[in-house]
Amino acid sequence: MNTILNEKKEFPMLEAVNLTKKYEDGLLALDDVNFKVHQGEIYAMLGGNGAGKTTTINIFLNLIEPTSGETKINGIVTHQQPLEAKKHVSFVSENVMLYPEFTALQNLDFFTRLGGKTNLTKDDYRQVLLRVGLQEDAHSKKLKGFSKGMRQKCGIAIAILKNSPTILLDEPTSGLDPKAGLEFMTLLDELRDEGKSILMSTHDIFRAKEIANTIGIMNNGKLVMQRSKAELENADLEKLYVEYMAGYMEEVA
Amino acid sequence: MLSLLIKKELKEIIGSSKFVYSFAVSALLILITFYVGAKNYQINKSQYDAAVAENIRSMSGVTDWRMINHKIFLPPLPLASLVSGISNDVGRNIGMQGRGELIAKDSKYNEEPIFAVFRFLDLNFLFQIILSLFAILFCYNAVNGEKERGTLRLVFSNAIPRDTFILGKVLGSTIALILPLLVPMLIGFLLLLVLGVPMSFEDWMKLFLIIVTGFLLFSVFINLSVFVSIITKNSATSFLLLLVTWIFFVLVIPKTSVLIAGRAVNVPLIDELNTKKNQFSMQLNREHFNSLSGFKPANKDNFMQEFQQFMEKNNQAREEKTKSFNEKLNRERINRQEVQHAVALNLARISPSASFSLAASSFAGTSLNLVSNYREQADNYQKQFAKFQQEKTGMTSGGGGMMFVIRTDGDKKPPEINPAELPKFEFKPASFSASLGSGLIDIGLLFVFNIIFFAAAYLRFLKFDLR
Ligand SMILES: Nc1ncnc2c1ncn2[C@@H]1O[C@H](COP(=O)(O)OP(=O)(O)OP(=O)(O)O)[C@@H](O)[C@H]1O
Ligand SMILES: [Mg+2]
Repeated sequence: MNTILNEKKEFPMLEAVNLTKKYEDGLLALDDVNFKVHQGEIYAMLGGNGAGKTTTINIFLNLIEPTSGETKINGIVTHQQPLEAKKHVSFVSENVMLYPEFTALQNLDFFTRLGGKTNLTKDDYRQVLLRVGLQEDAHSKKLKGFSKGMRQKCGIAIAILKNSPTILLDEPTSGLDPKAGLEFMTLLDELRDEGKSILMSTHDIFRAKEIANTIGIMNNGKLVMQRSKAELENADLEKLYVEYMAGYMEEVA
Repeated sequence: MLSLLIKKELKEIIGSSKFVYSFAVSALLILITFYVGAKNYQINKSQYDAAVAENIRSMSGVTDWRMINHKIFLPPLPLASLVSGISNDVGRNIGMQGRGELIAKDSKYNEEPIFAVFRFLDLNFLFQIILSLFAILFCYNAVNGEKERGTLRLVFSNAIPRDTFILGKVLGSTIALILPLLVPMLIGFLLLLVLGVPMSFEDWMKLFLIIVTGFLLFSVFINLSVFVSIITKNSATSFLLLLVTWIFFVLVIPKTSVLIAGRAVNVPLIDELNTKKNQFSMQLNREHFNSLSGFKPANKDNFMQEFQQFMEKNNQAREEKTKSFNEKLNRERINRQEVQHAVALNLARISPSASFSLAASSFAGTSLNLVSNYREQADNYQKQFAKFQQEKTGMTSGGGGMMFVIRTDGDKKPPEINPAELPKFEFKPASFSASLGSGLIDIGLLFVFNIIFFAAAYLRFLKFDLR
C-alpha cells in the first residue's frame, strides 16, 4: 500500500494552464489561472469566499468544463480524457457526503472499488480508518449517525485507499476538531513523503504556511500571489494575505 | 464497474428501513389479493353450482320439453377472480329459448352492489395502484437525491462513465425492487394451489403473462421516476411531478378517453332500439290484420284448414321480417359500439397503466371481449338447444308467440322429461394464443414506454450537472 513512487516525474502532476471559467450567468469565476504541483509537493490555495477555489477543483474533476485553458492530471488534459485523468486522482470535498444507509466499512468498500481498488480487505479498511482517527466502534455503524468530522475522516480514508498519485482537497479540515486537524496535517505530511502531489484549498493560513511547499492566493478568480515555502520563511503571511485580498498588490504568478 | 453499481443499488435499497416497511405492506397486499381471489372464486363457484342444480331441479315433473324454464350460466373463471375486469358487470344468467333474442341478466354487482363500491382487490389494482406507487417511492430521487446528498460528486471524482452510472442506477433499482416482490407472488401461486383453485396449464401461462406484464408496467414507473429525478432540481419537486403523472396515467387519461369516445361515436341506447323494434312489430301486426280481410278461401268446406295455413304462412313471414329487422338493428348497434370501444381504448393507451389494465384483462379473459365471447357461445348453444327441442317435440319455444298445447292422449299421463338429456352449456374462455394475440399490442406498448423513458433518462443524464 505505501508504495513510494520511485522516479521523480519531469512534468508536474497537477497543472492549471491559462485556466478560465465564465459561468452561464456571465460571472468570471476564474481568470487565466496558472500553477503547477510537482510530485511530493503540497500546494495550498488560499482565498476568500467566492474566490474560485472550488471552481478550480471542479474543473480538475471534470465536473464542469473550462471556458478556456485546461487542467492536467499526470499530464492528461482533464476535459479531453476525463476517465483517463480521473484514474490518477482522489478527492475529498469540504463536506464529505457518503451513503447514509451504508456503514463506514460498506462506504469504503464501495468507493475504493469504484476507484479501481478491488483487492482490499476489511482489515485494510479498518487500518486506514484507525489511521485517520475514526474509532473502531464506529466502523460498522451506518453513516447517517455520523458527525461532519467523522464523515470527513471517512472521506480522507477513501482518498488514502484509492492510493492515487494526486489528491485534491477542498477545505478538508473544515469539520475537524483541533486535535483531528493536527492529526490530519501529520497525515498530509506522510502522504507527501510517499510521493503524492496534493492540491488543497483552505482558509487556515497558519497550517498552510506550516505544511505547504507552495502557497497561492486567489482573489476574484485571479491568482494574485504565489510563493514557495522558502520565499515565505520570514514573511507575515497573514498580513500579505489581507493586503492581496484587499487588492493593494498584484503579482504575476 | 456496472455490476458494482448494481450491487450498490441493491444494498442501498434493500438495506433501507423505508424498504422494509413498504415491502412488508406490498407483500401483504399481494398475499391478500391471491387469498381473496381464491376465496371469491370458491364462493362464485358454489353459487354457480347451486344455480345449475336449481335449473335442473326446476325441470322435475315437467313432461314437455317446450315447457321448461331453462337457463344457462356463465361459470366463474379462476383468472377472473384475480383480474376481475368487467366480469362482475356481465350478466351471468341467460334464459334459454329455442328462438328469439338472448338477454344476459344478474351481474355480480347487480346482485351484490356493495362489491361495486370498493371493487375487488385484484392484480389489476395491485399493479396499477400499489406497485406503481412503490416504484415511484423508491426512484423519485434516484439521481437528484444523490446530488442533494452530495454523493454524486464523490462518485464522479472516479473514472466512472456517465452511461454506466445511469445504467447501473436503472438496472440496480429494477432488480432490487422486482426480485423481492417475486417471493410473495410465488407464495400467492401456492395459495391458489393449496386453496384448490382449478387452474389449467393455460391458466397458469396466462397468469404468468399477467405478472410479466405487471412488472413491465412496474419498470415503466422505475424508468419514468429516474428520468424525472434527472430533469428536476430537487427531490420534492420530482415526487410531486411523479404523483401528478401517476394520477393522469391511472385516472385522468382512461376516464377522459371514455368520455371523448362517448362524445365522438354515437351508440344508440338500448331503449331507443327497443322502441324501434316495437314500432316495427306493431306495424307488422297492423299489416297482418289488414291482410286478414284479403283472405278468401278457395274452398268453403275447407275453410278452417285453409285459414290455418294462411295464418301459419303469415306468421312465418312476419317472424322472419322481425328477426331480420332486429338483427340488423342489433348488428348496427354492436358495430357502433365496437368503434366506440376502439376509440376509447386506443386513446387510453396513451397511459401505460391503461395498457397494462387492458393486457391483464385480455389475458384473464375479462376484457370487453368477454361479452361478445359469451354472447357468441350462447348463440351457438341456442342453435344446439333449438335442434334438441325440434328433435324432441317437432317445435321450438320462444320468439314471443303463444303456444297452445292440445293434449290428445286423454288421461294417460305422458312420461316426465329427463333433464340429463339436455345439451350441456360449457363456456370456453378465450384460448391462450387468442388472449396473447389481443394483449400483444399492449405488451408492445409497455416495452415502448420502457424504452422511451429509459432513453430519455439516459440521454438527459449525459448532460446532467453533476456538482
Ligand atoms: N454554477 C454556478 N453558476 C454561476 N456562478 C457560480 C456557480 N458556481 C459558483 N459560482 C460563482 O463562482 C465564484 C467562485 O465560486 P467558488 O465556489 O469557486 O468559490 P470558493 O473559492 O470555493 O469559495 P468558498 O471559499 O466559499 O468555498 C463565486 O462568485 C460563485 O458565486
Ligand atoms: Mg469552495
